Amino acid sequence: MKPFHKHIGRPFKSVHIRITKYLLERDTMFATAWVFIFILMVGLIPLNTHFFDPIKLALEDFDFNDIAYSKLGKGEDTKFDNRVVIVNIGHADREGMAMMIEAGAAQNPKVMGLDAFFETEKDPHQDSVLREVFEKNKNLVVISRFKYLHHGEEIELMEDHFQESFAQQGFANVVGEDRGSIRHFAPFEQYKGKEYNSFAAQLVKNYDPPKFERLFKRHKETEIIDYSRRTEKYLVVEGEDLMAGNIADSTLTGKIVLFGYVNTNPNDIEDKVFTPMNEKFAGKSIPDMNGIVVHANIISQILDGRYIKKLPSWVTWLVAILVGWLHMSFFLHYYLENHIWFHLVAKLAQLASAILFGFIGTYLFDRYRVKLDMSKTLVVIALSVDIIYFYEAWAVWMHKKFNYKTVFHQKHH
Amino acid sequence: MKRLQFLLVMFLAAGTAMAQDNSFLLYSLKGNVSVVDNKVETKAKVGQLLKSSANLKIAPGGMATLICNQASMFTVNKAGNYSLNKFKDSCREGSNNVSANYIKYVWNQMTSHGEGSPGSNRKAFMNTVGAVSRSINNIWIDPRLDTVNYTAGDFPLSWKSYTDAGEFQFSLYNSSNIADPFYTQVTSKSKIMINSFATKIKEGSSYYWTSAVKGEENDELKVLNFVSKDTYDKLVSLLKTQGGAGEAPAEQAYRIAFMLEDAHYLAEAYQYYSKAAQLAPDNVLYRSTLMSFKKDYEIK
Repeated sequence: MKPFHKHIGRPFKSVHIRITKYLLERDTMFATAWVFIFILMVGLIPLNTHFFDPIKLALEDFDFNDIAYSKLGKGEDTKFDNRVVIVNIGHADREGMAMMIEAGAAQNPKVMGLDAFFETEKDPHQDSVLREVFEKNKNLVVISRFKYLHHGEEIELMEDHFQESFAQQGFANVVGEDRGSIRHFAPFEQYKGKEYNSFAAQLVKNYDPPKFERLFKRHKETEIIDYSRRTEKYLVVEGEDLMAGNIADSTLTGKIVLFGYVNTNPNDIEDKVFTPMNEKFAGKSIPDMNGIVVHANIISQILDGRYIKKLPSWVTWLVAILVGWLHMSFFLHYYLENHIWFHLVAKLAQLASAILFGFIGTYLFDRYRVKLDMSKTLVVIALSVDIIYFYEAWAVWMHKKFNYKTVFHQKHH
Repeated sequence: MKRLQFLLVMFLAAGTAMAQDNSFLLYSLKGNVSVVDNKVETKAKVGQLLKSSANLKIAPGGMATLICNQASMFTVNKAGNYSLNKFKDSCREGSNNVSANYIKYVWNQMTSHGEGSPGSNRKAFMNTVGAVSRSINNIWIDPRLDTVNYTAGDFPLSWKSYTDAGEFQFSLYNSSNIADPFYTQVTSKSKIMINSFATKIKEGSSYYWTSAVKGEENDELKVLNFVSKDTYDKLVSLLKTQGGAGEAPAEQAYRIAFMLEDAHYLAEAYQYYSKAAQLAPDNVLYRSTLMSFKKDYEIK
C-alpha cells in the first residue's frame, strides 16, 4: 500500500507540471505581455465604449471590498461607540435647534458638532436666538461647505448666514461620485492659502488632539473610510427628549455630541448617502446612511487610528503581471497539449481564480486593513484566454516572416 | 504542589471573569418604563447606564431597548418587572469571521439556483402590484385634531400625506349635512389656517372638516366647534381661579395653556404657551413645550 504523501503527491506534481511547463517559454511571456498591451490600447481609446455595456453600467460604483460590509458581516461585531452621541434635530426650526444645542451644552460635552447649514436669513427672532447660541458655545463646530467648480479646478467656500458667529467650522464635503457610494473623505482642504479641517477632523482636534496630530501627520489628500458602525451602534437621542429632560444627566458629558438629521426609515432618504454598508452592493438601490452617521464613522475611525492602507498601483500591476503569467502558462499547456479540454478548464480556472483572489482581497482588507485592487488581476485572467488566439496568429505570422521561434508553428488551432 | 496552585489560580481567574458585572445602556424607550436600583424607583431615561443588579419595570405598552457591555442590543417589549441579571445571555459578544463568511457566501451563491428569470418563471416574479392601494387613506390627520374648539385667532388644521401629492382639497361640512361640503379650498400646503375660512362659520355652531389628496376622497371627518366668546371667557376665568397661591404670571399662563390644550382650545392654548415663554424666557420647559406644540401642530 502506498503511503499517504504519495497519494497526494502525484496530483500536486501533475498540477505543478501543468502550470510550470510553459512558464519560462518565450511564448508565455510574450502572450502575457500582449494582454497588457491590449489593456493599454483599450485604455488609450479616447471614446467611452461602455455606454451600452450593462455589466459596466451596473458595476460602475462597485468595489469588491463592499461585499465584506454588505454580505460578510464586517462591522457587525464592532462595539457600540460611547464616545459619540448623536442628537436627532429632526425637522426643528432654528429656534428649536438653538434650544437643543443649549440643552446639550448644559451637560458639558467636550465638543459639539452641528451638521446643518443656514443659507439665508429667516425669522428675525429665531435667527437672533440661534446666533446667540453660536456665539456663546465656543466648543461648537458647525459645518461649512465647499463648492467644487469645473470638475474641481476651482473651489469656492460657501458663505453661511451665521458665518461671523461660528467659533469653529469644519467642511462637511465627503468624496464620492454623484449618487455613488461614499468611500473616501478628505481630512483637509486648501483654499486661498489657508488649510481647512473637515468636520470630523475639527471635532477630533477638540476631543483628542494626539489623534488629530496623527491624522495631520499622515496628511493624505483622501483617506478611505473604514465603516465600522451603522446608526444603531451610536446612541441616538431625540432633540425633543433632550430639551424635555428625558435624557440621563451625564449622557453627553465629556463626549462628542453631533446634532444632525437621523431617520432609520428606509423610505426617508433625506440627507442619506450610499455607503459600502448598503445591503445591495451593486445595481439599483436606495441610500442607506444619514450624513451625520457617516461623519460619526469617520470620527470613530480617526479616534481608533484605523487607517486603511491602499497599496500603490505598481503593486496592483505587479500582482496582475505575476498572476497573468502563471495563468497564461497554465492555459498554454491545455491549449497545446489537451486542446479538447482547453475551454472547460479555462472557464473553471477563471472561476476558481476569481473566488481565490476575491478571498485574498477580502482577507487583507478585513484582517490587515490593506486594500489591494484585484480588479486588474481579474481582468487579466479573463482576457488571457482570448489573447492566446490572437497571439497564436501573431506568432505564426512572425514565424513565417522572421523565423520567430514559437511553440505554435507546429500545432495550429 | 505547583500544579495545584496553578489550577487554583486558573479557577479563581475563570470565576472572576464569570462574575464580571454586566453594564446595560438604555438605548431607547417607549411608554412608561422605570428603573429600580437600590430599592429606589426612578423614571428610566435614555442614556442611563444600569448595573446588572438593577430592575427594569415596563408598564403595558412600554418598551425598552438596551445595549449590554457596548456589544449586544436587545429589546424588552412585554410589560413586567425584570431583573437585569436575567439578561446575562444577551450579553454574549458576537464572533463574526469575515473570511469564514466569505467561503459560506461563495458556497451559498454557487449552490443557489435562483428562481429563473421573469421571462421563464413568471410566478416567482409576480408579487409586484402595479396599482395604487385605495384601502389605505393617503392622508393622515393627527388624532389630536379630532376635535378643535375655536373662538378667535389663527391656527392651522394640518395633515400629512403618504404620497407625493402636489395639491390637497380641504372640505368643510355643516353638522346637518356631511355629504356635501359647503366650503372647499385647494391648497398645495398640508395645512389650512382657520382664518382663511373664519368668515364662513358661525359662532356657536359645530362643523366637520377633512382633507384629501386632490381627486381622491377621505371619509375621515374631524370636528370643529366655533365656541362663543362668552363660553370661552367663562372657561378661562374658571381656570384662572384654579391656580395656587403665589402663582407667578408665567406659571399661570403655562398652566392655563396646558388646560386649554387638554380642552381642545388649541389656538388659545398656543397664545398662552407663547405668553408663558415670553414672561419667563429662561425657562427651558416653557420654551421646549412651546417648540413641541408648534411642531406638533405645524405652526411656523
